[in-house]
Amino acid sequence: MIACGSMALAATISATLAADQSTQTSTPAGSAPAAAQTPALALVRTYCVTCHNQRLKTANLMLDTVDADQVANSAEAWEKVIVKLRSRAMPPPGVSRPDNATYDSVATWLETALDRAAAAQVNPGRPGELHRLNRTEYANAIRDLFGLEIDSKAMLPADEQAHGFSTNADALSIQPALLDRYLSAAAKIARLAVGDPSIPAGFERYTALKDNSNESTWLAQSERLSEEFPLGSRGGIVARHYFPVDGEYIIKIRLDRTDTGIIRGLQWRNDIEVRLDGVRVGQLSIGGTPEFTGRQGEVGNGNYVEARSPLSNGDDRLEVRVPVKAGMRQVVATIVKPDNLVVEGLGPNAIPIWSREHLNKPDNPLIISSLLVGGPYGARVSPDSPSRKRLFLCQPARDAADQETACATKILTTLARRAYRREPTNDDVQTLVRFYQTTRMQGDFDSGIRAGVERVLLSPDFLFRIETDPAGIAPGTAYNVPDVQLASRLSFFLWSSIPDDELLDTAIRGKLHETAVLEQQVRRMLGDARARTALVQNFFEEWLQTRNVWLLTPDLTQKFPWFDDNLRVAFVREMELFLDAELKEDRSIVDLLTSDRTFLNEQLARHYGMSGVYGSHFRRVTLTDENRLGLLGKAAVLSVTSYSTRTAPTIRGKWLLENILAAPPPAPPPNVPALEETSKDGRPRSVREMLEEHRTNPTCASCHARMDPLGLSLENFDAIGQWRTIDAGAPINASGVLLDGTKVDGPVALRRALVAQKEQFVRAVADKMLTYAIGRGLDYYDAPAIRGIVRAAAADDYRWSSTILALVKSAPFRMRRAAS
Amino acid sequence: MIATRKAISRRMILRGMGATVALPLLDAMIPALTAQGKTPAKGVRRLGVVYHPNGVIYDKWLPKGAGRNFELSPTLVGLEPFKDQLIVVTGLFMDVAEALGDGGGDHSRASGGYLSGVHVKKSDSVVGGGISMDQIAAKTLERETQLSSLQLQMDDNSLVGACDVGYSCAYSSTISWLTPTLPLMTENNPRVVFERLFGATDSTDPNVRAARLRQDRSILDSVMDRVKQLQRQLGAADNARVNDYLTSLRDVERRIQKTEEQSAKEVPDVARPAGIPESFDEHARLLYDLQLLAYQADVTRVITFMYGREQSPRPYPQIGVPEPHHSLTHHQNDPAKMEKCAKIQQYHLKLFADYLEKLRNTPDGDGSLLDHMIILYGGGISNSDRHTHGPLPTIVVGGGGGALKGGRHLVYPEHTPLTNLQLTLLDVLGVPTDKLGDSTGQFQELSEVGA
Repeated sequence: MIACGSMALAATISATLAADQSTQTSTPAGSAPAAAQTPALALVRTYCVTCHNQRLKTANLMLDTVDADQVANSAEAWEKVIVKLRSRAMPPPGVSRPDNATYDSVATWLETALDRAAAAQVNPGRPGELHRLNRTEYANAIRDLFGLEIDSKAMLPADEQAHGFSTNADALSIQPALLDRYLSAAAKIARLAVGDPSIPAGFERYTALKDNSNESTWLAQSERLSEEFPLGSRGGIVARHYFPVDGEYIIKIRLDRTDTGIIRGLQWRNDIEVRLDGVRVGQLSIGGTPEFTGRQGEVGNGNYVEARSPLSNGDDRLEVRVPVKAGMRQVVATIVKPDNLVVEGLGPNAIPIWSREHLNKPDNPLIISSLLVGGPYGARVSPDSPSRKRLFLCQPARDAADQETACATKILTTLARRAYRREPTNDDVQTLVRFYQTTRMQGDFDSGIRAGVERVLLSPDFLFRIETDPAGIAPGTAYNVPDVQLASRLSFFLWSSIPDDELLDTAIRGKLHETAVLEQQVRRMLGDARARTALVQNFFEEWLQTRNVWLLTPDLTQKFPWFDDNLRVAFVREMELFLDAELKEDRSIVDLLTSDRTFLNEQLARHYGMSGVYGSHFRRVTLTDENRLGLLGKAAVLSVTSYSTRTAPTIRGKWLLENILAAPPPAPPPNVPALEETSKDGRPRSVREMLEEHRTNPTCASCHARMDPLGLSLENFDAIGQWRTIDAGAPINASGVLLDGTKVDGPVALRRALVAQKEQFVRAVADKMLTYAIGRGLDYYDAPAIRGIVRAAAADDYRWSSTILALVKSAPFRMRRAAS
Repeated sequence: MIATRKAISRRMILRGMGATVALPLLDAMIPALTAQGKTPAKGVRRLGVVYHPNGVIYDKWLPKGAGRNFELSPTLVGLEPFKDQLIVVTGLFMDVAEALGDGGGDHSRASGGYLSGVHVKKSDSVVGGGISMDQIAAKTLERETQLSSLQLQMDDNSLVGACDVGYSCAYSSTISWLTPTLPLMTENNPRVVFERLFGATDSTDPNVRAARLRQDRSILDSVMDRVKQLQRQLGAADNARVNDYLTSLRDVERRIQKTEEQSAKEVPDVARPAGIPESFDEHARLLYDLQLLAYQADVTRVITFMYGREQSPRPYPQIGVPEPHHSLTHHQNDPAKMEKCAKIQQYHLKLFADYLEKLRNTPDGDGSLLDHMIILYGGGISNSDRHTHGPLPTIVVGGGGGALKGGRHLVYPEHTPLTNLQLTLLDVLGVPTDKLGDSTGQFQELSEVGA
């Protein structure tokens, strides 16, 4: 009933647009001639209000009663409309839709009007006033304050997330258990930073996969694992350990055992090397001697071995005792590879690493399962330890009390300034000095300083970013965030850490808000390697959800027997190196989709079906396979959007809609049953067949017609990112139609379609980045700011630096709305 | 695993040399606390909650028969040795976990409201639940103990991205809520749990430990002043974050004060765990052992424990189930998949039964720990495939200090609120409460003898 008029109406819409454009310049807002329809009104009347009206209330969007004249009065509704217009998501398929030109022209008209209104009355939003540091930020702050790297995962619990990021102020709660952890962390850090000669000797344990929680590790250790290991080695563990004081330390090695507690691989001699900062400090041999080989009979039928047997505790003797100077150091324990013969044909493993054969046969190769570093013994506090040098700006003469207090005051004032990220008040300093003095009376200068450090680390001024409205401001007004708070916003955004001295000084001097200064600081910060590490590991991993690679559980027994943790680590490493290079070279954001450059090692290259890449180290590679280019060809992305036994095109489609196309789908209806995996006649179904229901059922189709084709076009990539051409016995059909009518078939076509809408992609990135940067979910009133960022970035081909700079200058980042 | 317990001197224990010793924490023998007189003379009642996610195969759960004459089902058969202290409760529902217009999110609503009987707010940032019954109990029971309560779990919380669409991950990763907006985080690392229970000073010297407590208390006092100053600065608006901060400060101060008062209490003679063990089996047993220790040393009387968060994808290859838990539970009535799901449930119950055995063997006051325990075991989802919220698989175990009469299968009319049971348990604990979420009353039957 609507279709027949569409040609005429399209003409009406363009006529109204033309008319309106001429009136826009001459007529002030609020006095458009009553007779003319705005383009928005024409559009919704034709295509939208059949469903979206007061009576039906479809999706709670009533477009018959919105202000189509002064659109700013119904900004929230119109912003929703804009999203649907730009992504072509509405009207749903099967109903009459406008042509592409109309979609874009009406969207532009609406955007212009809303942007103008937003400029006249800025709404920068209001992130939480007390924004707790998440545990990554806490650890980085400690690193920057004291030069100490702490194991934040061991010291502090995981943070909650909201809107996809763990930088969200609302999600970062404070509760008794957390405060307990802060208390013990503060005591430990203070002791490490100051150096405590009475620090009791304790052991710290390191395992092969730092980021893996408690699952068994399927890490093959037959090759050199990474650049940190010496050439000619295989497997092992690398640990960054903080040695708090000068002294002697013990490094112990624990070996892998079968389920019955027998150490594997002791029939042959193995040489284990221990290195400290690259220098060999121990070479230990184990195995191959009669005390191990003479016991074969005991091992034969897999019985428990007597507790005292060397086969079950032979690694007790594997330790070296080393004098070490205080500081952060790298400890490596690895096995010397006896020869460099490569088995031809088969991959590194002849049998799957998770299988019983591999794990439980005692004569399989020796593997190091953990590294323990214990000490100190004979501790001496070195005045030159890196953290002491940073903290102790002065050293008072012994027992000169007034010198001591003056020095303590100086130390604690500087510490407070850096830790609280502002000029400390008199109150702040006096509080700390009192702590110093009380403890000093019963101890010495160092223990007094330790007490001061503890107090700093428990202070809300350290643990939280505090943003309070200026006194006396009118409710609901937008104001510029003061320089000192802006400095914190900047440093936590770009470095996930506290401001450095230069940024802090600039802010305290009140210069940071000046445009030239701000720009210069942003560029300086982006040029610092810390920015790339922080953004890659915190922003990108959460935005793209690739951190979930650590939680993947691909079906090992049937579908993916060759998946192991080496591959898992490779997925992560490829993403890290790829993204790091993109940022370092300040590429265009769009390059993420199209780049033919990546970083591979032999195992990952083979996984991608490429030959000619040898060795376990990562190197830059130019991809020649057109299907593999960019983000959509990365195994990390493809695997976190799949199930453990099969691909999940709907999940991939949703991922694309949310993260690439800025058009997130609404929530599914309740009680959706799972898909049938076999058809009625028992034949296994391809994933495409399983998803048929999505298309035939109209309730499902309204959303799935958008999600499924996107995901199905990637069907050639299986659940762990390998290329395939067959699924359930039939060739893969990777075809689909996107909502704007574009037909796609396979990843290359999909990528071209996405690049054709690259502005949508940049919009999606800006949206996610702003959410991450200001720590609150975005709302309709942020849309003009996002459009501003995209426009500014467009002028520089959407380079990362320009996009980030535009974001920093945008209203939501620079300003804040006062409480109403 | 071979448990090679060498004789470990106390000094070595507290320096963490336990890193090299095989687990489990406790062998069949329970370490006796050296001064028997330190435990309460008459056993005090304790609360435990064990939660399992992703629903059950209800046919395998439901016992045959009712009242005193009932036969344990295939899933529950491992609890046979404890039948006389076991009450199976059937017919309870969590109607508040239904969609009620909010669409999908059954998992989040199931765990989010399990102990509060509240229909949780659909939000992925600002959460809204209700105070959970374990926290209501803790408010009273904490008067005698250092730790108000403990929240433990097997999974960690590092999943990124939304959990249930539209719902914050907080809903599915804990069942304990201190306030309607403060879900309590769970801990899965045994070393961290140990340190929370017994301190992290690494020193045996009582003077050093006492000095640490004094220092902590004075730091917190000073921080409290600053937070109150902030509260004034932030103005009249009720600031949830500041309130949480003050609540937390007071709770931790209370803990320190209690610890100072009870400073004569000794640390038990066990090795400090090095971290998270490699196998689920070891990990679960270790966390159970720590719960027992916590009860025995009376460090806390309220503990909740989750086998995993709702939607947990954990596979169980050690019992022949390599598929991820959650997807397996959407079995669509495939018998092979249902069999595997039931296996997981039996496995969970086996670990639980081993824990009960140890509780029974631990002397406490005039009986055993189990005699004085009130343990609620269950979950917020019934049929795992359909996400129904009733009849919920629910059992109550323990003597309840004489107030619970076990050995019965109580069947209530369908849609009886789960909160009625929880309200009754609060009463048994000595924390009478008028209402909990959607409760409509209490049960008399738990304490009465007879059918």
